[in-house]
Amino acid sequence: MSPKSSRIRNVFEPLDSSWVADQWHSRFGISKEAFSGYKFFQKAKSIWAISDACLPRLSYETIGMRIMSCKGRPWKPTTCALQIFGRYATKNLMHLETAFARIFLEGASQAVESDCEPGYVVVFYRGEVLGCGLYSHGKLVSQIPKERRMADRGSEDLS
Amino acid sequence: MDFLDRYRDIVPDYEAFRAIQCQPLHSSARINTLKIKRDQLLEKLRGQGVLFETFAWYPLGLRLDAGSPGKLLENLLGYIHIQEEVSMVPPLVLDPRPGETVLDLCASPGSKTTQISQMMENRGLVIANEPSLNRLAPLRSNCERLGCLNVAITRYDGRNFPRIPFDRVLVDAPCSSEGRERRGPGVLARSSCKRSMDLQVLQIGLLKNALRLTKPGGAVVYSTCTYAPEENELVVQAVLEETDEARLERISIPGLKECPGITEWNGRELKSELQSAARYYPHINDTGGFFVAKIIKN
Ligand SMILES: C[S@@+](CC[C@H](N)C(=O)[O-])C[C@H]1O[C@@H](n2cnc3c(N)ncnc32)[C@H](O)[C@@H]1O
Repeated sequence: MSPKSSRIRNVFEPLDSSWVADQWHSRFGISKEAFSGYKFFQKAKSIWAISDACLPRLSYETIGMRIMSCKGRPWKPTTCALQIFGRYATKNLMHLETAFARIFLEGASQAVESDCEPGYVVVFYRGEVLGCGLYSHGKLVSQIPKERRMADRGSEDLS
Repeated sequence: MDFLDRYRDIVPDYEAFRAIQCQPLHSSARINTLKIKRDQLLEKLRGQGVLFETFAWYPLGLRLDAGSPGKLLENLLGYIHIQEEVSMVPPLVLDPRPGETVLDLCASPGSKTTQISQMMENRGLVIANEPSLNRLAPLRSNCERLGCLNVAITRYDGRNFPRIPFDRVLVDAPCSSEGRERRGPGVLARSSCKRSMDLQVLQIGLLKNALRLTKPGGAVVYSTCTYAPEENELVVQAVLEETDEARLERISIPGLKECPGITEWNGRELKSELQSAARYYPHINDTGGFFVAKIIKN
């Protein structure tokens, strides 16, 4: 089932894992094996992932982690999901230098040079995933959720 | 603070207990092994010049000497979680294993949920239950930041959580929070016996259901951050009295000093078994206060 065929309903519906793996493979070049061992669900326009285990029949608020939103086009990965799966990315990723990483963590936009395709990218700093960015025409817009942004400049050191 | 005087006879070295209430608690954090290895994290902190000390009793616990540890990049990226030192005890006592099915009946903001998730290495299933609507967001946000992939959140009244068998259940009950005075004075000013007795009714309801939901051979851990026996030993006693299917297991964590649960209160004699429960006092380990009991279902 693809997001298109699913009605907007407020329930978790099981989702085929190969569809999820295909999306991440085509955007980020992540191998499909990275998504084995999880179950996927769709609720409204969000996709959720949980470790493969038997789920008792309950009324759930969340099932595992929200990994992507299909509200807009293209679909958008969540920062928390990129911190798990993003390290396997082989394309549409960028490595930032310290000064740029700081701006990104503050949640701001900045000019960067990159050969990424326009769209969502995995942002790395010193080999670690910081989160999701939106890249186009030489501009990187941080997608770090508000509550996880670094506060004022200079208050904390990166290392 | 005079309210504490009712504990004069049960707290060892009562004067020191009173004195430490006015001293603020040190900051502490837990290393989140779902996202980083311990050594790598310690290396990062050293690199940043953050002073820290690891707990004597728990290698993943850190006392931090940082102004606002919540703002550390390591916290924003989910490598650490700011958590009070003794609050890390109940999950250790629960001792969940990878692959099990575990219920955290009173979960928000998820400090213990996420610790359980990491002890289970993101395998098996943790149901994090929290009925309060406005406490859902912090629970969810902590699970996501810390990279928990084996947690599902529900919103039942814990007393009526549907009958599903669990290997282990944690009841970190709503309580009068007297043990948190060092974190922000004022808690004690709101304490009263009436309040404890009202909470007791809820706590007994929660613990009873938790025991019902546990598989034979499984374990329930009951914890509070308060000293009031009404919310601690008396709750456990009430639930044990109703069943012959359960017993207490002795709690002892090497490197952390506990005091035994009390067996007499206000002239009333309690089950001697309650000695197996643990009371953690702030002046003994320089922490907050906690009560923890572990019940095994036969
Ligand atoms: C002490 S706090 C839990 C702290 C949490 N275990 C942690 O370590 O982060 C108690 C929680 O129980 C919740 N609660 C209140 N009434 C409840 C009920 N009837 N059933 C289940 N949980 C309840 C409160 O909303 C509160 O979030």
